[in-house]
Amino acid sequence: MFRTIMPGARADFEFVESSGLLPPLVRAGTVIDSQRVPNSVLDDAAPGATIVIEHPRLPFVSYPYEWPFAALKAAALLHLDVHLEALANDVSLSDASAYNVQFQGSAPVFIDRLSFKRYREGEIWIGHRQFCEQFLNPLLLTSLLGIPYHDWYRGRVEGIPTEHLNNALPLRRKLSWRVFTHVTLHAKLTRGAATAKHESVPKVRPMSKPVLCQMLSGMRRWIEKLQPAHRGRTEWSDYAENTSYGASWEDRKRAFVAEFARAVRPAVLWDIGCNTGEYTQVALESGAIHAIGFDGDTGALQRAFERASRERLDFLPLYLDAANPAPSQGFAERERGGLMARGPADALLALALVHHLAIGRNVPLERLVDWLVQLAPRGVVEFVPKSDPMVQTLLRLREDVFDDYSEATFAAALERRSAIVRQETVSASGRRLYWYDVGHGQQ
Amino acid sequence: MVRTTLAWALFAGGATLASPAHAYLDPGTGSIILQGLIAVIAGAAVAGKLYWSRLVAFFRGEASPDVAKDEAPGNVPPAEQDPER
Repeated sequence: MFRTIMPGARADFEFVESSGLLPPLVRAGTVIDSQRVPNSVLDDAAPGATIVIEHPRLPFVSYPYEWPFAALKAAALLHLDVHLEALANDVSLSDASAYNVQFQGSAPVFIDRLSFKRYREGEIWIGHRQFCEQFLNPLLLTSLLGIPYHDWYRGRVEGIPTEHLNNALPLRRKLSWRVFTHVTLHAKLTRGAATAKHESVPKVRPMSKPVLCQMLSGMRRWIEKLQPAHRGRTEWSDYAENTSYGASWEDRKRAFVAEFARAVRPAVLWDIGCNTGEYTQVALESGAIHAIGFDGDTGALQRAFERASRERLDFLPLYLDAANPAPSQGFAERERGGLMARGPADALLALALVHHLAIGRNVPLERLVDWLVQLAPRGVVEFVPKSDPMVQTLLRLREDVFDDYSEATFAAALERRSAIVRQETVSASGRRLYWYDVGHGQQ
Repeated sequence: MVRTTLAWALFAGGATLASPAHAYLDPGTGSIILQGLIAVIAGAAVAGKLYWSRLVAFFRGEASPDVAKDEAPGNVPPAEQDPER
């Protein structure tokens, strides 16, 4: 991953280099490493660049609108800590984009080397508006209103507008002086470009460094205390405890996943429908290197993230509606890649998932298998038969129109696209794991 | 000391010392005005603390306290930087 520094940015770049700010942060894993490389490396690709630097590549790029609450919160705290540390070295950050943070497992890392600039005396917090829109407001949406921010945030890629959050908040929430300042007052003082007359461009008053630091650390103290509203059980947060395959069946399922991971040793594993990450952990402990989990239940994701931090797993759980993944979007529909654009993964787990999509969301089985196999050339998929209590629950209030939902159809669809390496029954109700591999004798 | 603080506050009131033009990002009009208010209030709080300390010292019959000694670093709105020093 290369980045160029153009002549206009050189002075700031060199200043930051000489400040000594970065080496300790890089060592601590807080800021991503960067090395200078000869300009000839990029040559034609970047005419006019004075300096070229190289960053290590990350195994997976994720976006703020996919992060669970705990991850967005961790990213916000990281950003503020980095900014405060920078100011202690006479360096400042020129923006506050949430896209400047990435995750390695459950640990956030600041990736934008070029955000760092020399601190200018009296400079206000330039990134404040952006910080509010991309970090604070989504967290407040969940913390104060109990609304998960993912869908809104994904739609409005640059964050939740302060004005709209303010409109959504009831009066009693605005009595907190922090909310009043950073949401209500902030919204009311904003003049749009269309309504502002030329003369009413606001004067920028200088802000002393101690006051700037106070603002940042005050924000940090606030965010540190934020928690999702209505914490406790969501629909699937207790699934792992409440559903009983039975101990020996569970062992079989775990052993199957472990054997798969041991044989394949995937560099990047995607676990679609990871729930609290129980089987993701099995895969990581058996040979998977980096694991990304996806689930649509925020309670389960919270527990998955806690598991990843607690057990120090290279596991990043992300929000996903499997029937409606975030598409490629941003400018020219390319800035922020959709799920497929960021794949394929080396291996896939799709456990206790297929019936939710095929029955719950009416996705044709054939198309579903197609999609899964495109996500990764090998993986473990669990088929849950109609007789299973969970499928019966999904059908309890609906007409059973799913004539071709059967193991035979599923297996045939899978065999048309791949080879079945192994299969095994893992529950009394007849749930069956299928280990597929596109590569076996099909090159 | 008092004069310095007042001068700084007045200066801050009128001048555009640090233009955000050094940054590519639009800080947003609301944020600019809001931070202006914060800066003024923080400055007033510091001046207020200074006068309060002097007042307390006066009633105690002490010499005027040095502002730096009173502030615990980082916990309360810290002293404005004195440009004369």
